[in-house]
Amino acid sequence: MGLRGYLLRRTINTIVLILFVIILNFAIFQLLPGTQGVIANLLQNPRITDKSIIGKYENQFGLCSKFDPATGNCTLATPWERFGTYFINMLTFNFGVSYQSGHPIFQDMIQTGRLYNTLLLLGVSTVFSLLIGIFLGVFVAAKRGTVFDTGWVTTSLVTFSLPTFWMGLLFILIFAQSLHWFPTGGVTPFTQITAPPLLVYIGVRLQYLFLPALVLTLYFYGGHLLLTRATMLEALSEDYITTARAKGLSERKVLFKHALKNASLPIVTNAALAFGGLLGGAIITETVFNWDGLGHWIFNAINYKDFPVMQAMFYIIALTVIAANFVADILLGVLDPRIKYE
Amino acid sequence: MGLILLSLFIVAAVAAPILTPYHPTQNVAASLVPPFWVASFFGASRYSQNTQFNDLRAFTNTTGTGLNLSSSLQGPDAITLNVSSVSGGTILVAKTLNYPYSAAPNQFQGSVSIIPSGVDATLSPKVSVFIEHQGLAQYGPLWNASLVLPGQQYHAELSSFDSAFAQSLGFPLGTNINQVVFSSKGTYSLLLIINLPQGPFQAGFQVTNFSMRLYGNTFGVLGTDGSGSDIFTQLLYGAQLSLLVGLVATAIGVSLGLIIGLMAGFLGKFVDEVLMRFTDMMLVIPSLPLLIVLATVLGTSLLNIIIILGFLGWMGFARLVRSQVLSIRERPFIEAARASGAGTGYILSRHIFPNIVGLTYVNLALSVPAAIVGEAALSFLGLGDQTAVTWGKMLELANESHGGLAWWWVIPPGIGIALLSLSFILVGYSLDELFNPKLRKRR
Repeated sequence: MGLRGYLLRRTINTIVLILFVIILNFAIFQLLPGTQGVIANLLQNPRITDKSIIGKYENQFGLCSKFDPATGNCTLATPWERFGTYFINMLTFNFGVSYQSGHPIFQDMIQTGRLYNTLLLLGVSTVFSLLIGIFLGVFVAAKRGTVFDTGWVTTSLVTFSLPTFWMGLLFILIFAQSLHWFPTGGVTPFTQITAPPLLVYIGVRLQYLFLPALVLTLYFYGGHLLLTRATMLEALSEDYITTARAKGLSERKVLFKHALKNASLPIVTNAALAFGGLLGGAIITETVFNWDGLGHWIFNAINYKDFPVMQAMFYIIALTVIAANFVADILLGVLDPRIKYE
Repeated sequence: MGLILLSLFIVAAVAAPILTPYHPTQNVAASLVPPFWVASFFGASRYSQNTQFNDLRAFTNTTGTGLNLSSSLQGPDAITLNVSSVSGGTILVAKTLNYPYSAAPNQFQGSVSIIPSGVDATLSPKVSVFIEHQGLAQYGPLWNASLVLPGQQYHAELSSFDSAFAQSLGFPLGTNINQVVFSSKGTYSLLLIINLPQGPFQAGFQVTNFSMRLYGNTFGVLGTDGSGSDIFTQLLYGAQLSLLVGLVATAIGVSLGLIIGLMAGFLGKFVDEVLMRFTDMMLVIPSLPLLIVLATVLGTSLLNIIIILGFLGWMGFARLVRSQVLSIRERPFIEAARASGAGTGYILSRHIFPNIVGLTYVNLALSVPAAIVGEAALSFLGLGDQTAVTWGKMLELANESHGGLAWWWVIPPGIGIALLSLSFILVGYSLDELFNPKLRKRR
């Protein structure tokens, strides 16, 4: 099977996965007895004479297959019909209305800057955890067996296994509350009447960004470090490294140009895969630091039982992870000529 | 090493009711006070601990003319008095306290109840409550009343939060009355003063609930939380629940993984394909959002959370078992068993299962931390059992508490989670070495 066949297979796999996520999401939220009964109960309730109220719920839940707004006549949809509507809604990103704000969810997600905030936090921590993880991984592999090596491996194992929320609380306690170096949470200060000069603005934003990004970075660099170390160790034992050294190349060139280049494949795919975990970690970190992003939104949705938001967020996060997996698969297929596309 | 740590945790969890006299949500001290040993770091003069007034007794302070008092103790906080007098007089019911700290307490809470008999509107004694710093000053009245109705219970709560008390002493609202009253070391008395009416008088008084506790500004091994409960107690009971959640959830997850892995590996073909596709899908779906969604929808009782964690923790192990089974079932001894007429069930239970038992134990140990951290994360997000005191719950409350984070509230549960996880990982590794002879060379 060639590259084309491999890509085709991966694509089909991805589509099946998306389908699975939609079905799972539907099963979890829509088949709840509570949601199902809402309109049925409203229809049967003789005290409701104003049928327009049913229209309101119909808009929110979409439980009628045929609905006449004037008379309020509603034919209850079968689960299959509802799944059809739901499926189309999910594919068109039409998530309905948030119970909490009353606005369409998609609008809430984009216009309040939540998506941007989360992407900023995730972007920064992904870049830093990758850079730190890979560089340290290379050096640690080069100095294998020394105290430097075991020290960093242990440290990364520890930061890797500490719960993120606890790390966050600890940092707030130390750096924000005791030392006052950073704010305890939030994205921007509450009191900002006039627009400050750009440099000050960036400085303030960075101050707010620092702690949450640090927590996420610390949580994720460990995985990259350990993986880089493992693949580097493998690469360093290859013959071409001996050749490179015999040629008299500098150790830096050997490490980064010859070994890392060949060891980079699993690192690239792992970076894409780690994105899913990063999103999960972001939910907690954003909650700890009051970082007004998607994760913090989920936390609020939990407290308000805002099911449409939770449903939409679960779908979007799952979609992102699936997309990251897909990209990782494709990268692997394109980059590695040795892969047999089985 | 891991075993020692783990058994420490188990002992702590099992013996929690013995190791600490309190209940995890019981209010035992002032809220948000640090542990007692901060005194040895930041200067003992700034800290006080819980104390209380003791040594109940009754006496008269007028000598001579016709005042007779007989009293009998009914317990540490109760005393019965019988009085007869000719021309009035004063009776004192007192408790004393040798206050050993130079720092004032955080708050004081007390109460007094008195049931008179043989009184009426014309012959009504007056009672009042004072705190006396012996040889220095008398503060009060914290309470005063006329005892008019016989058989009626007169009751008062004596609290430092009582703003009327501060005002009656001539201080503006918001004065820290604790610092005024308990200003230094010394002997203090809690006095219930009964002023008898003039004229011939005979009566009985039943004094009960006469007590006062001083809540210090430090408490216990690890301080208190926002509602005045002992954090050390919560930590111990939290260990109990964390172990329970971790072990049961993992047991569910590992058994599911075992069953699915065995089925996929041994039955092969179509079953294998379907099961492994499903496993892959479950592996791709981000676990924390799925956990959140399920916990919200299904409810957040402890049992539910255990089940959810269990049902989301089998995928990795199922793949592991499957690959192991795939390799084992090609070995000659399986072929031999089959040739000698053994059935599928027999081969599975007698030949394949024993070969993956070690793997199962190892995985059991290594998966527990994930379940523990998962439960803590859910609790932290407010999706934990609202009645259960778990480590995650403690951290959630600490995070939500007003007036900033308290280090003695934040640090212990996190260390608990980390150490418990670590001990399971260590145990898992040593089990791995025990069951997997290949590993001995590598290490």
